[in-house]
Amino acid sequence: MAGEKGSEKQLLDTPLEFIRDGNQFLKKCKKPDTKEYFKIIRAVGIGFIAVGLIGYAIKLIHIPIRYVIV
Amino acid sequence: MSSTPPGGQRTLQKRRQAQTAKDKQAKQTPTSARTAGHGGSSNSILKIYTDEANGLRVDPLVVLFLAVGFIFSVVALHVISKVTGKLF
Amino acid sequence: MAGLRLIDLAKPIFTLLPEVEVPFEKIPFDDKVVYTIFSALIYLFAQFPLAGVKKDAADATIKDPIYFLRGVFAAEPRTLLEFGIFPIVSSGLILQLLAGLKVIKVNFKLQRDRELFQTLTKVFSLLQYFLLTNIFIASGYYGVDLTWVHIFLLNVQLNGAGLFASLLTEVIDKGFGFTSGPMIINTIVIATNLVADTLGVNQISVDAEGNTEPQGALINLFQGFRAKHKTFLGGIVSAFDRDYLPNLSTMAIVLCIGIIVCYLQSFRLELPIRSTKARGMNNVYPVRLFHIGCLSITFSYVLLFSIHIVAFAAIVLVGKNNPSSLVCKVLGHYEMVNNILAVPTFPLSMLTPPRSLIGGILSAPLSFIVYPLFVLTTGVWFAYRWQAISGGSARDLALDFKEQGITLTGRREQNIAKELEKVIPSASTTGAGLLALLTIAGELLGLKGKAAGMVVGVAGGFSLLEIISMDYQQTGGDSALSGVLGTPTNF
Repeated sequence: MAGEKGSEKQLLDTPLEFIRDGNQFLKKCKKPDTKEYFKIIRAVGIGFIAVGLIGYAIKLIHIPIRYVIV
Repeated sequence: MSSTPPGGQRTLQKRRQAQTAKDKQAKQTPTSARTAGHGGSSNSILKIYTDEANGLRVDPLVVLFLAVGFIFSVVALHVISKVTGKLF
Repeated sequence: MAGLRLIDLAKPIFTLLPEVEVPFEKIPFDDKVVYTIFSALIYLFAQFPLAGVKKDAADATIKDPIYFLRGVFAAEPRTLLEFGIFPIVSSGLILQLLAGLKVIKVNFKLQRDRELFQTLTKVFSLLQYFLLTNIFIASGYYGVDLTWVHIFLLNVQLNGAGLFASLLTEVIDKGFGFTSGPMIINTIVIATNLVADTLGVNQISVDAEGNTEPQGALINLFQGFRAKHKTFLGGIVSAFDRDYLPNLSTMAIVLCIGIIVCYLQSFRLELPIRSTKARGMNNVYPVRLFHIGCLSITFSYVLLFSIHIVAFAAIVLVGKNNPSSLVCKVLGHYEMVNNILAVPTFPLSMLTPPRSLIGGILSAPLSFIVYPLFVLTTGVWFAYRWQAISGGSARDLALDFKEQGITLTGRREQNIAKELEKVIPSASTTGAGLLALLTIAGELLGLKGKAAGMVVGVAGGFSLLEIISMDYQQTGGDSALSGVLGTPTNF
C-alpha cells in the first residue's frame, strides 16, 4: 500500500509498529501484586546490601594500606 | 495436477521435501555454543568460557592465589617507590 | 569453508595462554558460593591504586575521559582495574554476536572450533587491555614525560591485572562459580559501589586546605552537621547537591531506578502448558519481559565505550587535544572539569550523557536527542538479534519443550515454535526498550553512569539469581550455608 510514499513512511512505520507491538505485549503481561512486589524488593534490597557490605569491607582494607604506602 | 488422487506420488514428494528440510536444518551450523547444546551464553547470561582449550592448564585455586600474589607485588612496588624516595 | 577463518588466528597462540581446568565432577553448591565470592572479592581487592603514578591527578594533562562509562564495567579510575571488565565483556559479546550473525564462521558443533573461538575471545580481550593501556599512557593520563621504566611498569600492572581479571571470570565461568563470571563480578562490584556511595565512611580530601568529606552520601549528611568548613545549613544543602562526590539526590534516583527495575522484572507473560506424558498436569510457562536481561544495555555501553575510546585516541594522540587542529574540529575536543573529568565538546558530546540536567539542556541540547536515540536503537536491535541466536529463541524453546514432554495447552506440538515466535521477539525488544528508557532517564538527570550501572546490576542480578536458585534446588537444598543464611527466597 505504501508504494509511492516509499522509504519515508517505512522509516516512521517501524518504530510505530514497535511501540504498538510492545504495548500489546505489556497489556497481556501479568503484573506483580503489591504483596509480591514488596517481597521481591525486600529480598533484592537485603541481597544487594549484604553483598555490598562484604565488598565494602574489602575496600576498607585498602584505606590503611594506602595510608602506609602513599 | 489438481486432479491427482490423495496418496501415492504426491505424498512421497512431500515426505522427501520434509526430509530435505530436516537435513538442511541439521546441516546448518548452530549460531552459538548453546544452540549446539554445549552450554555457553543464554538469552540473559553472557558466558564466555565453556570448553577446556589446550593451553597452560592451571588449577582455579592457583589462579586465586596468583591473583592475590599479583596484587601484593603491586603493593610491594608502592613500598619500594616510597622507600627509594622517588618514582624510580 | 575455503580460505582462512578468523578463529584460525588463535591457533598459534593456542598453547601459550593459561587455561583454567574444567572441574572433573560437579562442584557442590557451597563450594560454588565460596569460589564465586572469593573471585569477586579478589577482583574488588585489585581495585588498588597503580604504583608509579602520583596519587593526585594534578600533573596529568588529560583527566578521565570515560567517567560516565565506568559504572557499567566495574572500572575504577587510577587503579589496577582502570578498564574494569570492559575488554572481557566486549570481546565476548561482540564475537558471539558476530558468530551468531555468521560474520565469523564458527561451527559450534565441533569441539575444536569452540576451543579456538574461546581462545580467540581471550586473545581479543587481552589485546584490548594492551591497546587501552597504551592509549591512556600515550595520552598523558598518567602524567606527561614518563620514563621507559614507568611505561613498562604501568604496562605490567594494567595488563597483568587484565589477565587476572579474565582468569577470575574464567574460574567462575567454567563451573566453579555460578555461570557467568563477568556478570556476577559486575553485579557484586555495583552493589559494593552502591553501599560505598551511600554508607561509605572513608574520607576523601575535597579542597586545598585539606578538608575531608566522606564518600557516602548519607554519612556525609550527618558529618556535615559538625564539619568545620561548612555552616549547618550549607552542610545539608551540600549533602544533596555536591557534585564531586555522590550526593543524596543522586543516590535517591539510583535507588528509584533499582526499584523500578524490580517492578518491571516481574512482568511476565504466562503461557499455559500441559504435560504430554501425564494427564492433568497443567502449569504455566513464564516468558519474562526482560527475556534478554541486562545484556542489551551492556551492548549499548560496549558500543559507546568503543566509540569514545577511538575518538579519545584520535583527539588526543593525533589532534593533541588542540581545538584548532583538524581532527578536533571534526570530533570536538576535551575540556577538563573539576580537575577529575575530561568532558568532550560538541560533536562527540552528543553521545555523552550530560553531567547535570539543567546545565546539560542549556549547553548541549543535542545530547538529549542523540544519546537516547543511540542507546534505544542499539539496545533494541541487539535484543532482536540476540534472542534469535543465543539459544533462547522460539525454536530452541520449542525443542526444550519437546524434550521435557510439555506442550502449550490447546496447540498442536508442531505449532509451538510458531506460537512462541509471536511472543519472544516482542518480549525481548520491548524489555530492552524499557530498560533503555530507564537508563536514559537516569543518565539525563546527570548520574554519570550510575543509572546504567544500577540497571545492569539489578537486571543482571535477577538473571543470575534465577540460575543460582535453580542450582540450589537441584542440589536438593542440602547446603550447610542455607542453615546459616536461611533458605533463599525463590522466584
